[in-house]
Parts: sequence; C-alpha cells; structure tokens
Amino acid sequence: MTLLEFRDVSRHFPARRSLADAVLRRPPAVLRAVHHVDLSVDRGETLGIVGESGCGKSTLARLAVGLQAADEGAVLFDGTPMQGPDPAGRIQMVFQDPYSSLNPRMTIGALLEEVVAHYHRDLSAAERRAEAGEALRRVGLPAETADKYPHALSGGQRQRVSIARALCPRPQILVADEPVSALDASVQAQIINLLQRLSADTGITILFISHDMQVIRHLCDRVAVMYLGEVVELAPVDRLFDQPQHPYTAGLMEAVPDIARRRGEPRVALGGEMPDPYAVIDGCRFASRCRFAEPRCETPQLLTDAAGGGLVRCWKAPPLAAASIQTSSRSDLT
Amino acid sequence: MALLSVQNLVTEFHGPGGTARAVDGVSFDVNAGEIFGIVGESGCGKSATCRSIVRLFGGADARIAGGSVRLDGSGDLATLPERELARIRGRDVAFIFQDPLTALNPTMRIGRQIAEVVERHRRVSRREARAIALQLLRDVHVTSPERRLDAWPHELSGGLRQRVVIAMALALRPRLIIADEPTTALDVTVQDQILRLLLERCAATGTAIILVTHDLGVVAEICDRVAVMYGGRFVETGSTATVLASPRHPYTRALLSALPSRAMRGKPLAPIEGTPPSLTAPPPGCRFAPRCPQAAEVCRAGPPPPLMLHDRAAPLHADACLLEGVR
Repeated sequence: MTLLEFRDVSRHFPARRSLADAVLRRPPAVLRAVHHVDLSVDRGETLGIVGESGCGKSTLARLAVGLQAADEGAVLFDGTPMQGPDPAGRIQMVFQDPYSSLNPRMTIGALLEEVVAHYHRDLSAAERRAEAGEALRRVGLPAETADKYPHALSGGQRQRVSIARALCPRPQILVADEPVSALDASVQAQIINLLQRLSADTGITILFISHDMQVIRHLCDRVAVMYLGEVVELAPVDRLFDQPQHPYTAGLMEAVPDIARRRGEPRVALGGEMPDPYAVIDGCRFASRCRFAEPRCETPQLLTDAAGGGLVRCWKAPPLAAASIQTSSRSDLT
Repeated sequence: MALLSVQNLVTEFHGPGGTARAVDGVSFDVNAGEIFGIVGESGCGKSATCRSIVRLFGGADARIAGGSVRLDGSGDLATLPERELARIRGRDVAFIFQDPLTALNPTMRIGRQIAEVVERHRRVSRREARAIALQLLRDVHVTSPERRLDAWPHELSGGLRQRVVIAMALALRPRLIIADEPTTALDVTVQDQILRLLLERCAATGTAIILVTHDLGVVAEICDRVAVMYGGRFVETGSTATVLASPRHPYTRALLSALPSRAMRGKPLAPIEGTPPSLTAPPPGCRFAPRCPQAAEVCRAGPPPPLMLHDRAAPLHADACLLEGVR
C-alpha cells in the first residue's frame, strides 16, 4: 500500500560559521529544516504538505526526489531505501516557476525528447518523438506545441509542459512543489484540474506541496501540516479541515482569506511570526505562538493518534478540539 | 464630496512592442475613510491604475494620455507639475508596495528611515522626528519598538518589514494610502495580521485605502467597495458583499468559479479558456468577449461597453456587460 516512506528523516543545514563561533570554539548554529519526519505516501493517493515559508515543505520535496540526501533516517521507495535520484525516473518533480525551469533555447519537443532519451536509451528517434508527443497529449497540449519555444507559451501552457516533462519517464510519483503558486486564478484552475484528472485516470501518486489551504483542500486525499521542520498534524482532508486539532492548523485555517467571510469579521487570529529557525527548541515548536501553551509544552511532543482520525503533535489535542470550536465563533480575540 | 475622483483615466506605456493602453478609460471615486479594492489578474492594469494616481511609474516610459485625477483640495493630479506632485506624495497620498525589502533603504536604520519621511514634510527636530517614529512603530504593533528603531531592514522578518513600511506610509497622516498587493509576499498568518492592521489604522485615522490585489478573499476581508478589472477597464464595481455574492459580469463570475472552494471540492474547477487580451492591440468591443461563453455579435463590435447600472435597488452595483440588461 505504501509507495513512498519517510522513515525518521532529518535534514539539517549548518549556518556559516561566524567569527563568534570560531572564537568560542563552538559549532555553528544548525537549521533543522526537516526534523525526524515519519510519513508514508500510499499508492494512488494525493498527499498534501502544507505550511508557511520555512516550515521545511520544499526540503521534504527535495528529499523525496533525492535532490537532497537525508542526514538521518531514510526515504524508501516501495520498501527500498533510495540513494539520490531514482535512475529509473520513478519519482519526478514539478517545480513552482515554469519560467525558470524550462531551457529557453530548446523547443518543447527537444526538451521532452531529451528526458525520454535519458531514461530510455534504447529508443529510436521516432519512438522518442512519439513518447514526447504522448506526454503532451496527457497534459492536454496540442501536438504542435513540440515545435515551439518556452517564450511563445503562456504561464499555464508552460506549467503543462513542466508536468509533461515530469511524466516523460512514466513515473509512479509526481512531487509537485507549489506548482500553481505563480499562476493566475483562471490558469491555476486548469492545472489543478489536470492534476486531478491525471490522478483519476492513471492512478499516479502525487505529493503536492503548497502554502494554499484552499488548493490543498480541493486536491488532496490526506494532508500533513508542517511547522518549523516537523509534521504537527496529519489527517484525511475532511477531518483536517472540519476538525483541526493542532492549534497551528486551526490558526492557519482561520488566517486564510475567504470570499464567504464578511468584512472585518472577528475571529481567532494567530499572533507573532515563526521563531528563529536556528533556535533549538526541544518542546513544542509552536508553543511561542500558541494561546493554549503551558509549561508542559516545553517537553518534547510526540505525534499521537487524533480523535476522528490521523495524527497530531499536541498533548492537549482532544479536549482542545472541543474548546476551539466554542471560542472561534466569538470573543477571545487576540 | 469624494476624497479622490478619477475620471476617464487613460495611461499608456511605450515599449518596443508598441503602445500599450494599460488603463483605458477608468473612472471611480474613493470616499474619506473608505477601503476600495481593485482586483484582477496579472496584466489587467490594476497596478498601472494606482500608479497613475500619483504618476509613480518607476522608470517605465509611461504617460497619462487622458482623463483627470482630482484629489479633494489639490486640483488635478494628472496635470500637476512634478514638483507640486512630489509634495503631495507621502503627505496626502502614501504608497505601500508589494515587496517591503525593496521599499526600504538597506543602508539606513529603521528609525532613521521613518524619521526622514517626517522631517522631509514637517518642521521637526531630529529628536522629535525620532519620537514620532517610535510612536508610529507602536501604532503598527511592532514589539519592542525602542530596540527596532536601531535595527537594519535585513534584520527584520517580512511581516515586520511590511509593518515598518505601513508606519512610514502613516507617518504624515495621509488622506489616502495606495497599497499595491501589500500582503502577496507574506505568509497567510502574517497576511492576516497585516490586513487587520490596515483595517484598524484606517478606522483610527480616517485614512482611505485603495487596495490592489489578485486575491478575492483579501477583498472580502477588508474592502468596503471593489472594482473588478480586465483588459485595462473596470468591468464591475459595487459593494464588496454584493459583487462577491451576486456577481453580474461574466468575467467576475468566471473568476469566482475558477477558485477552489468548499462547494467545488471533488469537482473539476471552471478555468477561463483563452488568454487575456493584448493591451497594445485590444479586441474590438468588450475586452472579455473572445473568452466569454455568453458573448453575442453585439459584444464583438464597437467601443468597449461602459459601466452601467442595471438594478435600481442596488445603485452602487454597476457592470459593463451589454447582455446584462437584456437578460
């Protein structure tokens, strides 16, 4: 069932050693971009990773495709630990910016054929062309697109090409890192529909990274919420949105601008900003912004089973869920 | 009387590809203390519209080719000599840009930057200006403001930087703040804080805001009225609640149904087919007609239709669809 597994994966980036570090003979500060993450992606599902900048979601995406190596733990594909990018191309990545991720000097056809040739060296030129054409067809682009250069395409078309390129090796998993964030709403909808259709038609597994809660809710089966390098909540999409159990998840949802909301409507806003990512926090990393924080939150928090399904990293979670439903409707504003 | 009255504004940008009419006959009023939203997708002319108000084109070869921009008591800003306009910028009309890092001088401490704005327009000593800067940081809820006065821009987070930019915009108690995508570069929880701050300061000082955004959710959260822009023109205006709850123009409707929402979950979204119109050679008739599922013959000929009132019961709600009256 599990196709891709993060098993206790950490990726830490040391800061540049400062003069003070050298004088005091201490090691440089370390940014825990991804810290002891356990996560399984099931075959055929679309798993969303959501969080704000600096939460580690992009590092997690790079770990998944092998662009980054884990410092600790392992990333397993179909039960086998991966060492760097998969030589068979079974995991492919779609990047955020379709402008900078396509070579401006290559036609779309040449660009796609190059990818096909890389993974299938035995194919003839005609077969390569056919494979590239098939990839274009799967993303809903006309065959003539092969003769065009990236600059001749709109933002939406370019993002389709990026997806076509990722599909060329016939991967089992697409890792999409903010694939619609650079696009206008009308175009964004095309790409979301395309990913949804690919998932329904071909059963491809998608790891979908985004900061946009609405898009995540629309597209994903399950969602992991990340904060400062850790997964703080993991749940089926409806449970997560209907009964968020981690205070950060709840605050994140409250903060999303919503066209159904009235002007200036009061609600429980999250105060503060993400703390210094270099600070070593052993307890709950969200405690500095959490209005429910208590001394006990300074001890390490574990991901435990949550009421209604999924996992949550907060010892107060089950009773808190009931409390936040009462308070979010009125009063108690920060 | 309105604080700002823009009539038939036309702004042209000259480039190697020809002359683009980024703003093509836009009219609107903004009242004192009001938050007026301009919403649209990239290239629709929303930024060009608000930049035209104070002729801040950032080095682009642009000029106002027609229309007027009347600010209560200051005459027509569209024809005012640059020297006089410079006095109005900052004092009467302040600007907040999307990226707070480029709006701040990286080589100057925060306190000095805010104080400099005050000193440029008011007769105050350096010490007084610093005291005003401190109070402004308090007003925008910067924590430990005394310490932040001596901080450099690069030491602050994105949210704090945008608070500083807002403090600078508020420094001279302007009557109007133009905020161009002020929260687009920020995370949602910080965006939420900044939007609340704008609402609060606007209510406390009576300053009006023109908020430019691509995000209809942001409009819903803080704008009193909104204009939907497409191809250099306003296609619909009205109170935010009315426009979002009962949109009339096909473009507004299309934009709303392209957004993922609770109701659309599990269903395919409705993207808008085609591409936005060229501003150098716009299509005849309604700019949206080539992409509009309802477009008829009349929509594709003649000058683009103006904003029209279609409902006596909603005198603020106007749209530029020729077919709206017919239906």
